[in-house]
Amino acid sequence: MKFSINWLREFVGLPKNPEETADLLTRAGVETENIETRGSKIDNVIVSQITASSRHPNADRLTVCEVDDGSGTKRQIVCGAKNYKVGDKVALALPGAKLPNGLEIRKSKLRGVESEGMLCSPIELGLGEDASGLLILSPEAKIGVPISDLFPSDTILDVEITPNRGDLLSHFGLAREIAALTRKKLKSMPPESKVPIRKTGVTITSTRECPFFSLRRIDQVTVGPSPQWLRAKIESVGIRSISNIVDISNFVMLELGQPTHAFDADKLKGAINVRFARDGEKFLALDGKTYSLKPDNCVVADEERAVGIGGVMGGEETGVTDSTKNILLEAAYFLPASIRHTARELNLPSDASYRFERGVDPGMIFRASARVTELIREIAGGTPAKEIQAAGKLPANPPDVSLSYEKCDRVVGVAIKPKTVDGILTGFGLSKSKRTSKSANWKIPGYRRDLQRDVDLIEEVVRAYGADKIPGTDRSRVMPSSAADRSHDIESTLRERLVAHGLSEVRTSKLIPRNAPAFSENAIVLQNPLSEDHVALRPSLLSGLLGVFERNLRAGAERVALFELGRVFAPPDVREERRAGFLVWGKRVSDPHWRAADQGRLDFFDLKGAVESVFPDKLSFQRSTHPSLSMAAEIYDNNQLIGIAGQLSTLSLKIDAPGGVFVAELSLDLPIKGLGSRATFREFGKFPAIIRDIAMIVSEELTHEKILKVIFHENPSWLERVEFFDQFVGEEAARRFGPKKKSLAYRLTYRDRSRTLTSEEVTAAHARIRERLQRELGAELRE
Amino acid sequence: MSHPLEQLREDALREIESESDEKSLDAVRVRYLGRNGSISAWGEKMKTLSAAERPVIGKLLNEVRNAVTAALDARSEEFRAQKESESLGRIDISLPGATGASGYSGYSEYSGFSTPLTGYSGFVPLERGSLHPLTQMLERSIEIFRRMGFALADGPDIEDEWHCFDALNTPPEHPARNEQDTFFLRDGRLLRTHTSTVQIRAMQAAPPPIRVIAPGAAYRRDELDATHSPQFHQIEGLYVDENVSVADLKGALEFFMRELFGPDTAVQFRPHFFPFTEPSLEVYVKSKALKGGEQWIEVAGSGVVHPAVFEQVNEARGDKAYDPEKWSGYAFGLGMDRLAMILFDIPDIRLFAQNDLRFLRQFA
Repeated sequence: MKFSINWLREFVGLPKNPEETADLLTRAGVETENIETRGSKIDNVIVSQITASSRHPNADRLTVCEVDDGSGTKRQIVCGAKNYKVGDKVALALPGAKLPNGLEIRKSKLRGVESEGMLCSPIELGLGEDASGLLILSPEAKIGVPISDLFPSDTILDVEITPNRGDLLSHFGLAREIAALTRKKLKSMPPESKVPIRKTGVTITSTRECPFFSLRRIDQVTVGPSPQWLRAKIESVGIRSISNIVDISNFVMLELGQPTHAFDADKLKGAINVRFARDGEKFLALDGKTYSLKPDNCVVADEERAVGIGGVMGGEETGVTDSTKNILLEAAYFLPASIRHTARELNLPSDASYRFERGVDPGMIFRASARVTELIREIAGGTPAKEIQAAGKLPANPPDVSLSYEKCDRVVGVAIKPKTVDGILTGFGLSKSKRTSKSANWKIPGYRRDLQRDVDLIEEVVRAYGADKIPGTDRSRVMPSSAADRSHDIESTLRERLVAHGLSEVRTSKLIPRNAPAFSENAIVLQNPLSEDHVALRPSLLSGLLGVFERNLRAGAERVALFELGRVFAPPDVREERRAGFLVWGKRVSDPHWRAADQGRLDFFDLKGAVESVFPDKLSFQRSTHPSLSMAAEIYDNNQLIGIAGQLSTLSLKIDAPGGVFVAELSLDLPIKGLGSRATFREFGKFPAIIRDIAMIVSEELTHEKILKVIFHENPSWLERVEFFDQFVGEEAARRFGPKKKSLAYRLTYRDRSRTLTSEEVTAAHARIRERLQRELGAELRE
Repeated sequence: MSHPLEQLREDALREIESESDEKSLDAVRVRYLGRNGSISAWGEKMKTLSAAERPVIGKLLNEVRNAVTAALDARSEEFRAQKESESLGRIDISLPGATGASGYSGYSEYSGFSTPLTGYSGFVPLERGSLHPLTQMLERSIEIFRRMGFALADGPDIEDEWHCFDALNTPPEHPARNEQDTFFLRDGRLLRTHTSTVQIRAMQAAPPPIRVIAPGAAYRRDELDATHSPQFHQIEGLYVDENVSVADLKGALEFFMRELFGPDTAVQFRPHFFPFTEPSLEVYVKSKALKGGEQWIEVAGSGVVHPAVFEQVNEARGDKAYDPEKWSGYAFGLGMDRLAMILFDIPDIRLFAQNDLRFLRQFA
């Protein structure tokens, strides 16, 4: 909410520099978001009256105005605004004026027509944010008078009021808070109303939602524009001037925090009742829109229809207009939760609902009614009724709260003298009803319904005492590591391994677009997405990785090797699962380097190597099919399926990528359990190894896996390692070795743990393996 | 009687379907749509038609041409996919993966089919990978909190209203219960708007004392711009013990901020309002390392756990484990994206989710 420093000063003394006030509030939890100076440095801008207006001969959007500046001769001004009529008083910047925004005004020709000055909008004069049209002044403003006389310079604070502090949503309320924080006395209090109250003429059916409702009749008012001071005051804090009656109601709301509403009494039929709306009841509100109401909305109604949504907005048909003569002034209390519910259900937030839903001060209702009445009598004339008609009961005072000084010290962490605590709480308007040396009972003022238990009072103590004065303590406690600790550590290890492997970690959004790339089928859709880019929960990491790939490809990347560890939401029951996703594409080495000749392109075995680096010695790959992959493998951990890998089919890419794009995804929930187990030492071989190679020509379909199986079938305990180190496949191989043939080479290392092997026994074992390869696989061995 | 063009279409589609390779498909394309193709020939014939016929036949010709072109393209796509998977079908996926620079995978005491064996070095050491800056931020923060004795805790991203609002002293129609900023699923559950939900889960799971942090994602219905993202990252902290005070909270967060931003960091606590803490404090830092140390930067929300939160937890637990008269606690929430932006001088939150390699490499 915006606060005028001048207005606050009517209630409490403030330091000369408004920054100090802003800082004081911010440090006490009432954050000042912006400070703005208004109305200073407006020289050579005067009140003038538009006496005639005609179309600009050369420009449709401009008009040529004849303006009376009080000098006796009329000025001709070219103007682009539309919001004025002839007779309006407006701000005229004379040639030579320098506006707060830096603009210098000169006599000039605009599209061929002479303009002797400029008519100004509020924003041009630094008097508000309104840039939509001219600043229209009150008709009573004297022509020729400097604008600075009408708008005394002021500073506007934009303050964030937290939802628990409805009592600060008025100038009086904030002044009261400043007084408490600075231990000053308020300059003035809104006077108590002395008008008698009669329980007649009004009834309440929805007594829970509207505990109290009052009306005061004021006859023979004259509706018209507001005087300049009133207009300037509400406009300075961002409320548009409408008419004197409406402006007064808004003014009092800004001053005292209590919203009021004026009905045109002659448009009401019969007595007022506050009731629930009928289901589907139509209501035309002051904002010009028709709302369809629900039975839990509370309305103010006459005998025929709803004339206001209680605490939210009045009705268009019964509002004050220029021809209104007699008014009924509403001042009421509504249940905060009900107001909030209605305003949100109808999507109709208003200045009134904003205050009612945060809780207004019941003690302010009659004061506000009296203040509005008094101002109306002053400004719009009229005769107020001798009595206020009312129904219901004002909410009771909030219950007392007991605070132990020891508890206060305990929660704050420093000892604060009981006298200091008492001083702070008394400053906030609380009063002590019962006191021992250890604790006191505090009576809570009606405007502080947020103070419900001892910790709420302790917070007030901290705010006024100053959080800065509480020294930090280094209090510790150690905790054993949890399951979450362990899985975090394992994932950190995985990340390190993959980074060392040359992959870059990415973190993609868990919310994916409606038209995500492949791997987003059956994603769970949000009920209320905000944009098309964040519509569903990702069922796989791969859709995000594909998006990242495409982005980088477009940016000219030549090598994209990515991984992501993160949560996915697996359909159909949206189970949250940790997964690892991989994508590799492009050159093995992206930049030329003297030690790296052309290394070719990343392929499936680079992907496989990356996946295996995460879970060494655990995984196996089996051929499979997948709709988005032109080559697919299932990944198994023992016999458990934990993921997929493969080459993306060109159809599932939105962008042309030369060469294959390889992706893999696996669940971390399963294999992770076996990770992190510690390695144990094994004696390394002390005796010499004997190494023998086997080169063979086999059928193209024969797999590495089958060959290993045959080699290890013999399984002499001293066959230490088998390494696959060369292959020759493709058309050239077929030409040399026959159709559908390939050549493979393996290195076998023989070593016993306890003795030196003899050449003869190795040769014999090796021969058995060779022979088995020939017999079982039809391998043609090469020498 | 059908128009000859319709007949042509039928013939073409039938032929396209029956061809079995790219080459013969090309022949079909030439036969119908080539310069002298039988469909193309109709373009010439149009000139001889009457003014009345021309638009009708013109329209038909277009339809036929489009239908045949589409069928040709689809069939060609099919061949391509077929060829692709055929050539890939010959790859032996059981070959060992490229294992990186070391090239050695240890002993093969043969235990299965996939014993990884040495291959060539695929990723040469010249290419380094990188950790995402948010990960680095999280890891650094977690490391500091662990030094302070915090254990990790975890909770789901998809939550119920009770854990996200009610248990955190934000009952229905509370002005701070911002359902409009919350993503809902169709089953009525929601995406947590803060990691504070893990406070509740941790307390449900174990009695006090408790000292945990919970890193994780949170979601808000914000438009994506330079400083807002509908999904972001937080670290939640909770410490419940005997006599935990505002002073303890200050000490813990001051320590954290100085570890993170440097020993000359000034930390300021400003009272604020959160429904689930009382008193509530916002945390600001000022440090030479950050924007020249000119301004206070908001980095966290914190406070002393509201007794109403303990009462809700007790009710859910069915005991009095969290007796507000015996136990007290502090809680805090740190925005990781925001902290990373401050620490690494990153101007736009969207860079995190875009994952441009030119961005990621800067933090390698």
